[in-house]
Amino acid sequence: MNDLAVQFDGVSKRYTHFSLESIHLELPTGSIMGFIGANGAGKSTTIRILMGLVHQDAGTVRVLGHTMPADQAAAKLDIGFVSEDMRLYGQATLAWHMEFLKPIYPRWDQSYAESLAKRFDLKPQQKIKGLSHGQRVKAALLLALARRPRLLVLDEPTTGLDPVARVEVLGELMAALADEERTILFSSHNTLDVEQISDQITFIDRGRIIDSDDKEAFLDRWRRLRLVLPPDVVVPRLPGVVEVGGSGRLPVLTTNRFEPAMVSACNDLGATVQAVDTMTLEEIFVANVHSRRERLTA
Amino acid sequence: MNYSMVKSLILKDWYFQRHAILLALAGGVLSLGIVALGGQPGFTLGLILLVTVMVMLSAMSVMGNTIGERENQTLAFSMSLPISYLEYTTSKILGNLLIFVPYWIAIVAGCLGLIVAAPAIRGLFACTVIMAVEILISTCLMIAVALVTESKSWTIAAMVTGNVALNVVGYLVAHIPSIGNAMWGKAIQWTPAATILVTAEFALIALLLGGTFFIQSRKKDFI
Repeated sequence: MNDLAVQFDGVSKRYTHFSLESIHLELPTGSIMGFIGANGAGKSTTIRILMGLVHQDAGTVRVLGHTMPADQAAAKLDIGFVSEDMRLYGQATLAWHMEFLKPIYPRWDQSYAESLAKRFDLKPQQKIKGLSHGQRVKAALLLALARRPRLLVLDEPTTGLDPVARVEVLGELMAALADEERTILFSSHNTLDVEQISDQITFIDRGRIIDSDDKEAFLDRWRRLRLVLPPDVVVPRLPGVVEVGGSGRLPVLTTNRFEPAMVSACNDLGATVQAVDTMTLEEIFVANVHSRRERLTA
Repeated sequence: MNYSMVKSLILKDWYFQRHAILLALAGGVLSLGIVALGGQPGFTLGLILLVTVMVMLSAMSVMGNTIGERENQTLAFSMSLPISYLEYTTSKILGNLLIFVPYWIAIVAGCLGLIVAAPAIRGLFACTVIMAVEILISTCLMIAVALVTESKSWTIAAMVTGNVALNVVGYLVAHIPSIGNAMWGKAIQWTPAATILVTAEFALIALLLGGTFFIQSRKKDFI
């Protein structure tokens, strides 16, 4: 049995002003992947390819054992999809949407849908056009979750939400994670949201995957070393240093391959390590993007 | 082909167009009533109203069901359902046609019935059939352009083209001797020229719809 819910192999897609290049992405069944990138990085294009809504120019995509885009209809039976730019039918009610989806999805869970409506404070008889943005996102999430999908694909679902609505949406996602068989791909440019729920992180920038790993591994291996250099000592060459900041005698090294031995290596080279700072996911993302862009322009 | 999904999408589109369908039905009955009043003025006015109502129904259906999905950003919701794009295309073509064609058949049948019942205008039978099929072509053109281009502007252009073509075809048909000469007579005259024209019109409809499926099957980006 294939234990990968999503598998991208050498996927490329070219547009006039943007291209997605050689995307390799693996999402094991039951994992929650945070897919982080700046606006225009290629998150939505990747997700649209995953959903079969955009056809790749090259490479293969398999989703829940189905080849995309050829078997998209069968694959989408097990996918719940919510996208920031997806709207429900404004002139219909939430109840109409539930009735519409019920016969389509064999695992549709009406009692779960109704309990979610209560939890989200949504009135099923209210027309979608009368809902606020936050309520619309919750309604879309309700319709995706009540399908009991094996794969939940969320493309920037928290964008534009007020803090209360964001916490509620993220809370419900956390509850959905209780099902260990459910796989979630969560794209966002908000690293705080992603950090809360993901166990795997993938960074994308300018159409390329620049890094992908377990969240804990990311947080463990990225560090900032604050050094003090005596006048005759140069900045030590250490493995995995992606950025050198700070001032001349007080450099700050950012490394993506931190090991405790690095501190003694610095001391051996004549530098004093003042502090080893942990980094937030946002800092790791920004450093990662900057270092890659600098490498490309060098 | 997942026919059950296609059916669900068609029923959804019908639900959202139910007011337009009812409005068109009321307009159609009113127009036929005016035609039934009899005489040349009643027939002309009723016919103009009928054509207007038919164009309105096809425009509202195509704009609402096809262009509206993209404009209102509901296309992503539809395409997240377990369907392929070909099934989506099938549902849109069939959905729009099944809204328009029953109405079109009822109105054309009513109109032809009135012509047959009124000896003074029986000569218009062939011309009415040809023009009725021309209206169907205009609707198919609008559906095809809406699906292929997904653009409101191009769909409006297709609607205008269809309406202009209706006048041009009407003028040309009236100037075909075997049809034009019989128009104001009191007997139904179905000529070989009328058969050729109607056959060509249905061939054009088949070409438009077949071409739409062909182009849609080669598309790579749907959102």
